[in-house]
Amino acid sequence: MKAVIGLEVHVQLETESKLFCGCSTDSEGAEPNGNTCPICLGFPGAKPKVNRRAVEHAVKIARALDCEVQPRFYFSRKSYFYPDMPKNFQITQYEMPLALGGHLLLDDRRIGITRVHMEEDPARLVHVGGSISSSLYTLIDHNRSGVPLVEIVTEPDLTSSREARLFLRKLSLILEHLGAYDPGREGGLRVDANVSLEGGQRVEVKNITGFRAVEDALNYEIIRQESMADMGISVMRETRHYDAESNTTSTLRLKEQEEDYGYITEPDLVRIDVDEAWIARLESEMPELPDARIQRYVEESGVPRFQAGIMVNTGLDLSRFFEESIRLFPRPGVVANWIVTFLLKSLNYEGLSLRESKVNPETFVELLALIEEGTITERLARELIKEYVGTGESPRALVERRGLASAGRDELGEAIGEVLSDNRKAVADYRAGQTRALDYLLGQVLRRIRARGDPVEVKRLIREALDSE
Amino acid sequence: MTGVIDRARELDEEYGIFNALAESDDSMGGGRLEGVAVSVKDNVCVMGMETRAGSRVLEGYRPPFDATVVKKCRGEGALILGKTTQDEFGFGTFNVNTPFKVPVNPHDRERSAGGSSGGAACLTSVADFPHLALAESTGGSISCPASFCGVVGLTPTYGRTSRWGLVDYANSLDKIGVMGKTVADAALLLSVISGPDEYDSTVSQAPPEDFTGYLGNGVEGLRVGVPREYFGEGVDPGVSEAVWGAVKGLEALGATVKELSLPHTGVSLASYYIIAMAEASTNLAKFSGLRYGLHLPLEGAFDEYFSRVRARGFSEEAKRRIILGTFTRMAGYRDAYYMKALRVRTRVIEDFKRAFAEVDILAAPTMPVVAPRFDEISAMEPIQHYMMDVLTVAPNLAGIPMISTPCGRVDGMPVGLHLMADHMEEGKLIRATHALEVSA
Repeated sequence: MKAVIGLEVHVQLETESKLFCGCSTDSEGAEPNGNTCPICLGFPGAKPKVNRRAVEHAVKIARALDCEVQPRFYFSRKSYFYPDMPKNFQITQYEMPLALGGHLLLDDRRIGITRVHMEEDPARLVHVGGSISSSLYTLIDHNRSGVPLVEIVTEPDLTSSREARLFLRKLSLILEHLGAYDPGREGGLRVDANVSLEGGQRVEVKNITGFRAVEDALNYEIIRQESMADMGISVMRETRHYDAESNTTSTLRLKEQEEDYGYITEPDLVRIDVDEAWIARLESEMPELPDARIQRYVEESGVPRFQAGIMVNTGLDLSRFFEESIRLFPRPGVVANWIVTFLLKSLNYEGLSLRESKVNPETFVELLALIEEGTITERLARELIKEYVGTGESPRALVERRGLASAGRDELGEAIGEVLSDNRKAVADYRAGQTRALDYLLGQVLRRIRARGDPVEVKRLIREALDSE
Repeated sequence: MTGVIDRARELDEEYGIFNALAESDDSMGGGRLEGVAVSVKDNVCVMGMETRAGSRVLEGYRPPFDATVVKKCRGEGALILGKTTQDEFGFGTFNVNTPFKVPVNPHDRERSAGGSSGGAACLTSVADFPHLALAESTGGSISCPASFCGVVGLTPTYGRTSRWGLVDYANSLDKIGVMGKTVADAALLLSVISGPDEYDSTVSQAPPEDFTGYLGNGVEGLRVGVPREYFGEGVDPGVSEAVWGAVKGLEALGATVKELSLPHTGVSLASYYIIAMAEASTNLAKFSGLRYGLHLPLEGAFDEYFSRVRARGFSEEAKRRIILGTFTRMAGYRDAYYMKALRVRTRVIEDFKRAFAEVDILAAPTMPVVAPRFDEISAMEPIQHYMMDVLTVAPNLAGIPMISTPCGRVDGMPVGLHLMADHMEEGKLIRATHALEVSA
């Protein structure tokens, strides 16, 4: 049975101030409830005021997803009682959202985007001493109250959990390129997933954080629905909660218990009329997006498409790393190959992201320069990159400190001479046609130079020495 | 001005005017309101002064900021005297829907001072010291008590004054306005409080005006329209007669008068109450005893706690409006009520726009009757309370400015003449009422 999946993705926008007041959105290390004011605490008498920067971010996101920005839009009140909402209503968009009708391309798959709208984030609830059900009490931190969110709603076009994960990766990459989203921010991307099996009832799984968790939650839910179908039990239309720890979903409420949000237009905010010139200006400010970046790597730098794709899709920081590296070491093919084949593998082995590691373009290209100038062999470089990724030590310094530079011509000549005179029997065997003797001699020479040389080259020199003896 | 505070305390004991009173005179002086005591309707925030909007649910709320209008008055040297009594959140026409003091009518203590800005009108009438009142109207809460108490009440265009610091009733309808003994008083205070405010997106960007400049300009050539629908069934004949007398007075002073029709007057009441209650029911959601106002011992789940606070904190009329307002925006009913009411509102605005293409101002009775007695009020059904607003809700829905000014008496009680003008045309209202005032 085919899965039918639609996502509602909530993204925290990277603005300096909140959506409806001047409070800072940067609450890392801030005192709980420190970044608050009468507006985001919903004090009687306070009124919201739209943060223009947040709207501009949202417009760019909408345009990057090829959505139509509506000529006019307004905010609405979504009413429900919950302690994370100081006003007991959330200012969001309902009838006239910011933008409608776009899409995102996953290779040749076109995933429809139904709408893009803005809303305010509720407070963060801290359940002390356990989960929501087992905790002793719950604290409310309003530092998050009013942080701007953009909600991106897809059509039910996704067909597998893997595709959902790929969609989210691509989406977050686009958002990252737009400077609208920081992938390092905890809980910066939250997803509600609607999932059904073809012909079955739709189940909404709420509040999943992270790509991996979305894939896991969907996998669980698809298998659950499949096994129910196998047993002849029909799936009920309901909202389910995802528990990341046990990787299971459980019933939150049935369709009959769905909340009725009683939307009204937000009367404290005026309708926003969009003028073409404003949209045009925002479009002109939009940076290059991932697909265009891949194309540029292929066309301008001659990087193979699959390598360009890997670099761009890994994240904006790796793209920047590549671009800076080829500025310092202008051989894009070599750089791309080393990044994709060896750097990423080593990072992966160390369990580090680029951001977490001490790797940087300046030291990374030293490694490539060392190979190119013949100071070390490529083979040694492949060994050294592991150490470099682990410690971040400059490869040039590392080679020097450990005396790893390839043996020079004189040293090599001397070593070969000594080996040939010490191993006359092997020399005789070689002359008698035993090619294996040459490998023995090679081994002896390499041992003497402590492997600081390219075996192929060394072998050639040994043969040369034997022939001229 | 400490003497003023003492005097205000005496008047409060006699008439039931204040929910909070200033403890000392902290006025700065030196502006257009130097030496003037400004009273503030309880639903307008005064920093540090208990602001309950006439509701028990806000007990103990001392706002950490001043409403913009209060700040502007302070800036002009006024003494902020205290918080005047009102119906809970503005939910009423007679100022009886409150667990706190009920103001009495200065002309007859057995009668209502009107609502919801009852304390403001009552004080404006009885103050024997320089006083101006900041009041607020959603559907007639300035005009009605001004009419009943025989003072001048000016409700400006929606967006003329900032609502920052107003405890919301229905945000798309709420307007902070003024009351004074004379038109000149009202014009002065409106000049002080109007103008753009970065804290309220719905305020007009039009620069502040000096409305006192309209005083004495006369009504020569001013076209006065009299809407037929405002003199229909339910309007006391004595009230009609007094209002027509004032209209004739304007004609005698050089205005021209014509009768016309505002065809959507009949449906405006339903539209008004649906929109007002829908908005109110969302505004009141925040009162749940978490961060401010009434708190109770924390017991049970959060929703049980919320319910206890709300059951205890709201009185009957507030609960009625929360339930009705929630109903009108629920799935399945929303289109039939809330959305339809918004469409009717557009029709009502179009009525006025058509009228103002022909005339400069409209004249009508403010209230269909003079102030009723408290025993009459307690015999009324809620729907009869709502019907009392039939003449004031349409201009409030349209967001146009209106002024109520005394124009005679019936049974010894003041009658209010209601003049309405197009958006941002408060000047015409001031011209006309001032001309009548000086000719009387």
